[in-house]
Amino acid sequence: MSQGIYLTDQPVRRPQPAGNSLVRKIQRACRLTLAEPDLGLNLDVADFVNAKQGAAPREAAISIVKLINSRDTHTAVFALALLDVLVKNCGYPFHLQISRKEFLNELVKRFPERPPLRFTKVQRLVLTAIEEWYQTICKHAAYKEDLAYIRDMHRLLKYKGYIFPKIKEEDLSVLRPGDHLKTPSEIQKEQEIAQAAKLEELIRRGRPEDLKEANKLMKVMAGFKEDNAIKSKQLINDELFKLKRKADLFKDMLSTSESPNMENETLVELYSALKVSQPKFQKIIEEEHDDDNLVQDILQFNDTVNQLVQKYNLLKTGNAGEAANIQVQNLSAAAPAGQSGGALANELNLIDFGDDDEPASSPVPAGTSGNSVDDLLGDLNNLSFSQPAQNFGLGGSIALGSAQPTTQTTTPSIGLDLLSGFSDTASSTPPPPPPRQEPFGTSPSAFGDFSDALSAPKISRVKVFDSEHLKIEFEITRQTESSIKMSSFFSNAGTAPISDLTFMVAVPKSMTLRLDPQSGNFIPAGMNDGVTQFGSIENAYQNAGKPLKVKWKATYTVNATPVEETSVFTFPQI
Amino acid sequence: MGNSISKVMVKMFGYREMKILMLGLDNAGKTTILYKLKLNKIKTSAPTVGFNVETVSFRNVKFNMWDVGGQDRLRPLWRHYFPATTALIFVLDSQDTERLNEAKEELYSIISDKEMEDVVLLVLANKQDLKGAMSPQKISDFLELKDHLNNQLWCVIGSNALTGQGLVEGLSWITNNTNAKDKK
Repeated sequence: MSQGIYLTDQPVRRPQPAGNSLVRKIQRACRLTLAEPDLGLNLDVADFVNAKQGAAPREAAISIVKLINSRDTHTAVFALALLDVLVKNCGYPFHLQISRKEFLNELVKRFPERPPLRFTKVQRLVLTAIEEWYQTICKHAAYKEDLAYIRDMHRLLKYKGYIFPKIKEEDLSVLRPGDHLKTPSEIQKEQEIAQAAKLEELIRRGRPEDLKEANKLMKVMAGFKEDNAIKSKQLINDELFKLKRKADLFKDMLSTSESPNMENETLVELYSALKVSQPKFQKIIEEEHDDDNLVQDILQFNDTVNQLVQKYNLLKTGNAGEAANIQVQNLSAAAPAGQSGGALANELNLIDFGDDDEPASSPVPAGTSGNSVDDLLGDLNNLSFSQPAQNFGLGGSIALGSAQPTTQTTTPSIGLDLLSGFSDTASSTPPPPPPRQEPFGTSPSAFGDFSDALSAPKISRVKVFDSEHLKIEFEITRQTESSIKMSSFFSNAGTAPISDLTFMVAVPKSMTLRLDPQSGNFIPAGMNDGVTQFGSIENAYQNAGKPLKVKWKATYTVNATPVEETSVFTFPQI
Repeated sequence: MGNSISKVMVKMFGYREMKILMLGLDNAGKTTILYKLKLNKIKTSAPTVGFNVETVSFRNVKFNMWDVGGQDRLRPLWRHYFPATTALIFVLDSQDTERLNEAKEELYSIISDKEMEDVVLLVLANKQDLKGAMSPQKISDFLELKDHLNNQLWCVIGSNALTGQGLVEGLSWITNNTNAKDKK
């Protein structure tokens, strides 16, 4: 039997461990020489993790928490920013990793047994992160049972006397589920990724109960059980039902008065929700064409939506008489009987579109996960985690016993953080009085508001990008010697609505970018300045020699196809 | 803690633990091999849906042997078992010449995975007792491992799961060759 040891022409070299490039990317995103967390680098890590899957989410979580615990505040803050980006962009596989007991214990390793008088910046950020997860993914996610340890850690910290900072509504909304109708293939893909992540985690843990789970999960993944198909159908039905409710509400709002207020936010939002889902109908019908009931149902619904859209447009152009002629029948009466209980409970809250804080209004999972037979991950979970009470105690002794010596450094480092935060941003403007919530890391937007108020009169609008769908324009004004105010306007030049719009900008390393949240992510067809976003760039000096260049990336969905645009924009001299 | 103890054990007694992944087409005999090694018994088994895992101690090595079902539908899931594998045992049915090509394709798709780069490969040409079984040498030629694997250690051994022939040789080959690798 021959063996393969012999020298080849290639030089002998030790193969690189697979995780290396990931760790390198993470370190690059957190290195000390950066002035502030670099969104570009952070997103790069997120993309890498998403592309790699497998062990990547786990490795990323482990290396990041190591950096969070590093002695250097700067690095820790960067690592937390990176963690935030990954939680928001990498979905279930990463959520599973941050909910591991070991990870959470590491995360609070430097927390003393009793809460200190003043939290360090890092502690504050860690508490913010946990609170944010607690309020979002632990409550709404379809797999929230898998994230039980986050809840336990939240409870443990609270019990120990730690106080969680208040989270701003905008920050929470990012992690809420998108209320979108998905096609069967999209649902299936999501399921596959989630199940693969879960399987690998179970295999890694390797305890007998985990292996039992893994075996079960494998049967499901290989299609020996029908669970997946049933579940995806259920999801579609649920989403359709919710959409029908929206259509009814829309209809009611349109017909209550002769001239409804067309600028009404709710009305516009309802309109966009319906319009966006229309291309999806077609796809679902294509994929599920052998399910006659579903196809009939969707076709009928589609007709109704068409009528509603027509009515809306007529009313908008002031043609109330014609609009009144369009009679639309009520839809939810025809809804599947099995769901009426949960749906009725949600009815009143629908008007909020899940913006509400209460778990009751959060979509499907809250209402139906309890009784859905196919809630597979949930079923598995009951077996895979041992009694919460025991974990709770265990977590405490491991997590909080070993980390006393950090307390004494608390106060000085807070002072420094505050100062350094301002010295970056305000070189010639007087620093604004610290707003109350500043300690929780919201100073960027507070400062943004401040600079808005100073709006300079000289405004020039420049076109940044123009395609058949999306048009992006900047309004750039110089605030001071060193800072530029930048307002972005997004318009829809095409005939199809644009949804899921996200816009990202990266500036040269020497400068600091502050961006406020976008005003929305949906632009109806032909709408000018449908979405706006304000921001400012600091450290951009007037006579810097070479023109300022920024890199930007816009992603959006049009006609149900995702589009990504990216380019470099050179600022005019101002 | 546990880690450092096992490191000491390694230094003092050469005691080691390793993960072995056993793959191959359905009906190649993976589960039979696993239980022959574990219990020294022939356990008639239904086609594996899912996987079996057992620890087998051999000399001073503790093998964690993972036997994953080989039906087509399970094959896409093999890759989830790749992380942290030290050695791959690829089991072939030597009599099933019709599906030899299929087996070869599967084998190459496993070892071309990035996570399996450093793994030592043992091919067990199983069912040598059956009439018309191809010899290990022939199978070795057919698989063309010599031409395709430059950096990996590999070996083809004939086996018979019913009598246990070839199985211990296989494990000791893995032990010896991973030893050498650690010292490098």
